[in-house]
Amino acid sequence: MTDSRSHWLIILSAIAVALLLPIVVRSNYLLHIMIMTEIYVILALSLNLVLGYAGLLSLAPPAFFGIGAYTSALLALRLHLPFWIDMAAAGVGGLVFAAAIGIPSLRLSRHSFVIVTLSFTLLAQLVATKWTGLTRGAMGLPGIPPATVVGIAVLGKVAWYYLIMSITLASLGFFTLLVRARLGRAILTVREDEILAQAAGINTWRVKLHTFAISGFLGGVAGSCYAHYITFIDPSVFDFYYMENLLIMVILGGSGTVWGVVAGAVIFNMIPELLRIHPELRTFLYGIVLLVAVSAAPEGLAGWVGARRVRQSQGSSPEVRGA
Amino acid sequence: MLFQHIANGLIQGSLYALIAVGLTLVYGVLEVVNFAHGELYMLAAFALYMAFSLLNLPYILAVGLTMLILMGLGFVVARTVIVPHLRRSFETTVLATLAASIILQNGARFVFTATPRQVIVPLEDVIVSLGRVIVTGHRLLVMVTAMIAFVALQLFVRRTRTGKAMRAVSQSKQACLMVGIDVRRIAVHTMVLGAALCALAGAMVAPLYDIFPAIGTTVVFKSFAVVIMGGMGNVPGAMIAAFMLGVCESLAGGYISMAAKDALGFSLMILVLMIRPDGLFGRRVRI
Repeated sequence: MTDSRSHWLIILSAIAVALLLPIVVRSNYLLHIMIMTEIYVILALSLNLVLGYAGLLSLAPPAFFGIGAYTSALLALRLHLPFWIDMAAAGVGGLVFAAAIGIPSLRLSRHSFVIVTLSFTLLAQLVATKWTGLTRGAMGLPGIPPATVVGIAVLGKVAWYYLIMSITLASLGFFTLLVRARLGRAILTVREDEILAQAAGINTWRVKLHTFAISGFLGGVAGSCYAHYITFIDPSVFDFYYMENLLIMVILGGSGTVWGVVAGAVIFNMIPELLRIHPELRTFLYGIVLLVAVSAAPEGLAGWVGARRVRQSQGSSPEVRGA
Repeated sequence: MLFQHIANGLIQGSLYALIAVGLTLVYGVLEVVNFAHGELYMLAAFALYMAFSLLNLPYILAVGLTMLILMGLGFVVARTVIVPHLRRSFETTVLATLAASIILQNGARFVFTATPRQVIVPLEDVIVSLGRVIVTGHRLLVMVTAMIAFVALQLFVRRTRTGKAMRAVSQSKQACLMVGIDVRRIAVHTMVLGAALCALAGAMVAPLYDIFPAIGTTVVFKSFAVVIMGGMGNVPGAMIAAFMLGVCESLAGGYISMAAKDALGFSLMILVLMIRPDGLFGRRVRI
């Protein structure tokens, strides 16, 4: 019990530190990185839900991110709708598209699911580039209006930091509740043993579909935050570059854990920015990191810490191993 | 016009077929989806560019050299990325090949930069007219070479010891271990074979378009659709599906719009998954 209490203590103090950071940090550049990290946390949760909890490798998160960004930007620019409605619509957009590709691709096998999700991301980018009537193609959509909260426009990095922090914390709360709820337990059963899950009366196809749709929702919300924060989007929002970063964050953070993935998102977004690694070199280096990671430590950071904890507790008293 | 579109589609189809057959072969034998397959095609195109345009080798020699280089590369990818993960979960192998794809594509971006290169192949300005259909000599050569390659592949997997061993591995890895077939060695052979087909595509079809580090992504995107439509692991199925997709795309591009042409592969793949989840010709692995 003490173990889980100290666990929560660490998490609460981390959140407190995150909330107080803008008081200390004055540099706009650092604040920008912190805001991007918040957006990455939402995206990493979206991938973690599918990869870590359902055990399905989805390569579609950049697609839902981009669909969310475009939905939000187009609603704001063409229909002048407020931020909250744009964001809700972006989430629903991600959810609908996830359901639409989940229905055919989850029926068969995990193998075809991977291929279909990757193809969907590539197709989404292609459509955003070619359908110039709607998206203005490679010219992108400039001048996306900033968010307004109770009538006040959110301007400046500090305000954005807190706005996106509130959305990120809400997503995190939603995520922790979800994985403890009925659906979360069902999805873990499906991951561990699909046949057993079916025998226990779980409709595995529907559970997977719901999980995938919710991950689409989170991806759409992240895309909406990004579009309104950056105020300009173009087809590069669908880039596979995001997928690579996400995989590193989720896998090295420890897929299937909540806080490991959050830590992964923070660490692997901060380090390359602070070391000022050129984005192209970063992609290359992250490719090598990813290859080494899946070869050497498929359980990730959290798995490594967990294994150490198990070893320690085994050393002292073997019966508290599950704590 | 109709026959011209069909002829163009068949040429495009031979590109998809050369890539997709290697992809589905690797899946059929090893149950690994090789996401780095498109990068092999891209590197073949650059190898040809260097051998033909920079070293000024005769075209036939340049193609031969490209094939040799790519077979070596296929060997390296197999040994470093695929063989170490053969016993791991499907997701692990996907992530490993995905990482390899990222490394190769961004490595190529460093070495060759993103500037598009053009290669002018010798037979491209020879015009051949068959009735009302006009094709260039090179495009005709592409189709003929693709056909020869597929016949050779079929003979290889049916007649040679290695080919028979590959088919055995695709049926049961356990049984192979019992009768003394080295699964790891066969895995390497399969990858080398797939890389050789990629080399043919990269050396013969890529020069019809611009050559730059991202070309593998578009081609592999279409090839995945072909692999799923043909039934994953089904080699003749992939071949037929590739030519079908090529012709359908050409017709869509000619009569509807270019955007419709690009979305067609994905739409057909989803349609096939909805109606016949095992692919048009069944998923029972046939190589």
